Amino acid sequence: MMLSVRAATKLFGGLAALRDVSFDLAKGEIKAVIGPNGAGKTTMFHLITGILRPTSGRIEFAGRSVEGLSALQIARLGIARTFQQPQIFRSLTVLENVMLGADRSGRSGLLACGLGLPRTRLEERRQIAAAHEYLAFTGMADHAQRIASDLPLGEQRYVEITRALATGASLLLLDEPAAGLDETETEQLSALILRIRDRGTTVLLIEHHMKFVMGIADSVLVLNFGAWLADGTPAEVRSSPAVIDAYLGTAENA
Amino acid sequence: MKSGLAFVTASGIAWNSGRVLVVALCMFALPSVFGHGYYLNTLNFVAVFALPAIGLSLLSGLCGQLAISHGAFFAIGAYGSAILTLRLGLNPLLASALTQAIVIVISAAIGSLVLRLRGHYLAIATLSFSIIVEVLIKESPRLTGGQQGMTAIPPYHLGALRLDSDVAVYFAYWSMTLLLLWFALNLAQSRIGRIMRAIREGEPVVDSLGISAAQNKTLIYIVSSVFAGLGGSMYAHFVAFVTPATGSIMFAIDIIMVLALGGFDRLWGALIGVALITLLNEYALGFADYKRIILGFSLVSVMLVFPRGLLPGLIELLLRPLRRSAS
Repeated sequence: MMLSVRAATKLFGGLAALRDVSFDLAKGEIKAVIGPNGAGKTTMFHLITGILRPTSGRIEFAGRSVEGLSALQIARLGIARTFQQPQIFRSLTVLENVMLGADRSGRSGLLACGLGLPRTRLEERRQIAAAHEYLAFTGMADHAQRIASDLPLGEQRYVEITRALATGASLLLLDEPAAGLDETETEQLSALILRIRDRGTTVLLIEHHMKFVMGIADSVLVLNFGAWLADGTPAEVRSSPAVIDAYLGTAENA
Repeated sequence: MKSGLAFVTASGIAWNSGRVLVVALCMFALPSVFGHGYYLNTLNFVAVFALPAIGLSLLSGLCGQLAISHGAFFAIGAYGSAILTLRLGLNPLLASALTQAIVIVISAAIGSLVLRLRGHYLAIATLSFSIIVEVLIKESPRLTGGQQGMTAIPPYHLGALRLDSDVAVYFAYWSMTLLLLWFALNLAQSRIGRIMRAIREGEPVVDSLGISAAQNKTLIYIVSSVFAGLGGSMYAHFVAFVTPATGSIMFAIDIIMVLALGGFDRLWGALIGVALITLLNEYALGFADYKRIILGFSLVSVMLVFPRGLLPGLIELLLRPLRRSAS
């Protein structure tokens, strides 16, 4: 199992943002987490990435418990994420953003960098080349030299995804990647996420956009007010009465 | 400059080397053009005071962390050099090196304690640290000479070479300062510089990429402090005396204001800001009375109008109509 969440609970004071939620994510799978606002989707992401600690429950990544690990340590294990509001380094170029994703392959220390040693320059060129490859993969190659904040929101999200990929993570967490995208852009994003999976990266994503989710997810986890509601293939979830009651029904009416 | 930041790699380093070399050649040509006048003495002060300013520019401008300890580390540099040469009879070069080792240990301790936290803790902690250093210097007369300070600190010497004239100090100190500026420029364009700029924009995101923001902040804080400590050592061996006024908290705040004038995130700006203030102080009659007002004005303008510094802001303001007519 790539990711295994057991009875995860997160209380804020007396309020349960997440109550007793369990699910598994197999290697190479694309899983979507859906649910109305306040269902606990982003809280689940925060628990997995170590930004929040679970009140109780157990999270295992690649067979290893992440309990007590910091966000930094969990990132180093190989989990990368994007944020609901794209968190790019705004004043840096797109290329620099992606190079920061791949920075952990950097070996040059402070003195080598300050002295501009030949091996530092060689490493820098290698990292630039690697970043360009990732940018080509996500179709962002033309924007490499642009200042990240100059890009429209949709492309900022691509910068974030490219940067996350560049970390070499085996598990990618995407928080509402299709929010604010039009139909064509959503289709492009679907194609990209499928290609990301095809290159061996497991994907867990939060999404409201039903057509998008049903189109690409291998399995769907449904949360409702912090509680587990359903987990299964898109078809199974769609036909689950509990889900239709709580979520899909209302969404279709809307 | 914006697109300039994208020019990493070899071309960036060559560009740095070229510019520093041109400035070095100009500086080294001055004595043969204008003779060995008193102005060399003033320029020596520029070389010395530029170091804490460049150091703080790395930390604050590039990494977004504000420290008020650059005066204290300047003082530790100056007093370390004075004590090790006068009390223990060490060679000034060795004394300066040992003093920097002390600066590294202290700044590493402060950094690893405080920089795990985000926000303004560094400013507060380093302010307290500066107060402690100032009190310790004043209250340990047997070691530091107390209020009287220490005099007759020897100049740098190695074999027959002795930096005991303004012109000798001039060549040695400007070589050192420009070398360190070159180092800082390279650093800013390297992967470490990239991490620094990323930290300025969002530490949690840096951590989420598997890069330790805390560790890198501490590293930069140490480098930045050593720049200040080296400046202090060079100061002591140049003016030959130290007093508690050397590297006071006011000095630390002056450095911050010099950056507000020259530009926070421009390492060259740190040098230009220091040069401007030092030269005006020396040659513009009555400037000293208004120095703090001008510096204070720069600081306010940074907060209200030109977040990147007064001079860069003014230059951009002046260039804008030119650029518009050009396009």
